[in-house]
Amino acid sequence: MAVPVPAPSPPAPAAPSLDTFKPGDAGTIVAIEVEPAEAGLIRAMGLEEGESVSLLRTGMGGDPLHVRLGSGGEFALARPLARMVRVQRAP
Amino acid sequence: MTLEAVNAPQAPVVALVGRPNAGKSALYNRLTGGAARVGNFPGITVDVLEGTAEVPGAGAVKLVDLPGVYSLEATVDTGTDEAMARKFLDAGMPVALVVQVLDGTRLGLGLRLTRELLARSGRLMLVVSQVDVLEAEGRRLDAAKLSQRAGVKVVVVNSRDPASREVVLKALSEALALPPRAADPRPGWNADALAAEVLTERASPEALERRRLTERVDGVLLHPVIGPATFVGIMTAVFSAVFYVAAPLTDLLNAGVEWLGRGVGAVLAEGPLRSLVVDGVLAGAGTVLGFMPQIVVLGVAIELLEASGYLARGAFLVDRLLRVAGLGGRSFVPLLMGHACAVPAIMATRIVRNPRERLVTMLVVPLMACSARVPTYALLISAFFPAEGALFRALVFMALYALGALFALVAGALLRRTVVRGQGLPMVLEMPAYRSPEPGATSRAAVRSARAFLSGVGRTIVVASVVLWGLLNVSWPGAAVPAQDTPTAALERSIAAEVGRMLEPVTRPLGFDWRINVGLIGSFGARELMVGTLGVIYGVENAQDEPQPLAERLGRARRGDGRPTYPVATGLSLMAFFVVACQCMSTLAVIRRETRSWTWPAFTVGYTYGLAWLLAWGVYRVAAAAGLG
Repeated sequence: MAVPVPAPSPPAPAAPSLDTFKPGDAGTIVAIEVEPAEAGLIRAMGLEEGESVSLLRTGMGGDPLHVRLGSGGEFALARPLARMVRVQRAP
Repeated sequence: MTLEAVNAPQAPVVALVGRPNAGKSALYNRLTGGAARVGNFPGITVDVLEGTAEVPGAGAVKLVDLPGVYSLEATVDTGTDEAMARKFLDAGMPVALVVQVLDGTRLGLGLRLTRELLARSGRLMLVVSQVDVLEAEGRRLDAAKLSQRAGVKVVVVNSRDPASREVVLKALSEALALPPRAADPRPGWNADALAAEVLTERASPEALERRRLTERVDGVLLHPVIGPATFVGIMTAVFSAVFYVAAPLTDLLNAGVEWLGRGVGAVLAEGPLRSLVVDGVLAGAGTVLGFMPQIVVLGVAIELLEASGYLARGAFLVDRLLRVAGLGGRSFVPLLMGHACAVPAIMATRIVRNPRERLVTMLVVPLMACSARVPTYALLISAFFPAEGALFRALVFMALYALGALFALVAGALLRRTVVRGQGLPMVLEMPAYRSPEPGATSRAAVRSARAFLSGVGRTIVVASVVLWGLLNVSWPGAAVPAQDTPTAALERSIAAEVGRMLEPVTRPLGFDWRINVGLIGSFGARELMVGTLGVIYGVENAQDEPQPLAERLGRARRGDGRPTYPVATGLSLMAFFVVACQCMSTLAVIRRETRSWTWPAFTVGYTYGLAWLLAWGVYRVAAAAGLG
């Protein structure tokens, strides 16, 4: 979406990537580390920094990842993409 | 008549915009009554439907249904629906009003696109759909508040309710009367926060239960065991429908065309003109009509899969598998349908959102062992392995099918790393909520795909059929006509025969003589014609219906030195050639229609024939070395 994304503050190195989630895990997206044009489209789809995310299930051999967002949207992410999405685990 | 109408003879354009699955098509059908044609817009290479709606006070407006998009600002690839919609709004005809359709149950997601639309100047109106589901889920939308906060007109509808038509038309008339707005690059609200603000919760136990509907269905349809089993079941049903429901209809249509051909044959005198009309023009028209049942059946099936939300689930289940070939889960349905016929399968690639994956799917679908190859395989097997039993034949058939699928996946992987590199779209797919498909929308989708095929592909096929007729029936200049002319003699002096002879140096390393080359040229109209063409060369009548005599003739044919003209090695090499070569003018015509260029059909010919030659050559060498030559 067109809102300015908060200045790209480097994510805390501790933030794990979404692909470390197990079904049932939840957290918040803190960074999407893909090239800008692609990131723009991903954000427009609804996967944005600050959005809460939970992993519902994974497909064959753990790929793709079926996630639900706080906004109500559900998406299937390929694991290589999930690796580039940094999340803060919910306590 | 108003002054404006005099100055602008063209009806004002109203463009429908929205995310995929937002309910845009349902609204479009509701407003136009379903009557739609594919608009012709410069530079727009996806089908954009346009229709007319009578707006009270504003007269007729041209309603344009743009492809579903997530964003207009973020465009990764020029071939995406996003890029096409943006191009239309930026450079297309002047748009009097943009109407964004939002799914009320996923309002926060839709409002992200609203922000982008507000950043553009011009008139904008929001239609929030699925209000029936929203209410069943115990949520209420405050449309007035949304309108006030977003600064544009908002209507809330259930597009399935016929009464929604009047509501939206009235709103359109009011929105068109407003002055165009200035661009607002930074709307002062956040999409998710605004959605939360305008929706009020009054959840009852039933409503909470309804909210979990998609989740519960997913629990079954995406279950690690039940999910794949159901997927196989559904895909088998779709495939069987294309195969067995469409096949009798196709036979019926072909019988009708044959009957017409006999009628015309009775009126016209025997000679080239009659042959041209019956075997060229009518045969081409018959080919076109023969595809229609499959296209309509597959069109209905795909609309049902897409509108119900199941397509995204099926894609989820097989996504990982197809990524090996550089494709995604959505390519599965076209690839599977390629086993019935490449023509409807290539039309079905429209469900693949990623333009590069879609293109590669189109390019590899012709490698699948389609049903038209079966008679040729059967003939070749009985000609070259007459002594072998049923089990052997079944194994060869299975091997040919497996080879086709294997080559398609390998070719896909190679093409995605070379000619059609790059991502195109991020590897993320939305999983929409389940919905019951609307019967009206389903039938209209089927009619549209049939019409797109007839108008966009039909003519090309008829022209190609006439050209092919010329190759097979017109004598090479200067060829002598014997006193006792026969169909065999006529074919032997045709342009195709001469071309077949010229090609002998190229095909000799594969074990093909000029007769097989002519058969290959003849099979370009439809693969099963290989059998008929070879039948004419060998003076065997009705070889299509009774291939056994032809098979015996091929087996008995001897060269000057007494060795068989077609040893087993030639049979194997020919089968290998058939597995890969795109021997089908209809497939090429439909690739042209869907890519809107001759480049990709030419590329398909080039790469499949190159690959077919190499494969057939390898098979021939190995078989000859093994003593089968």
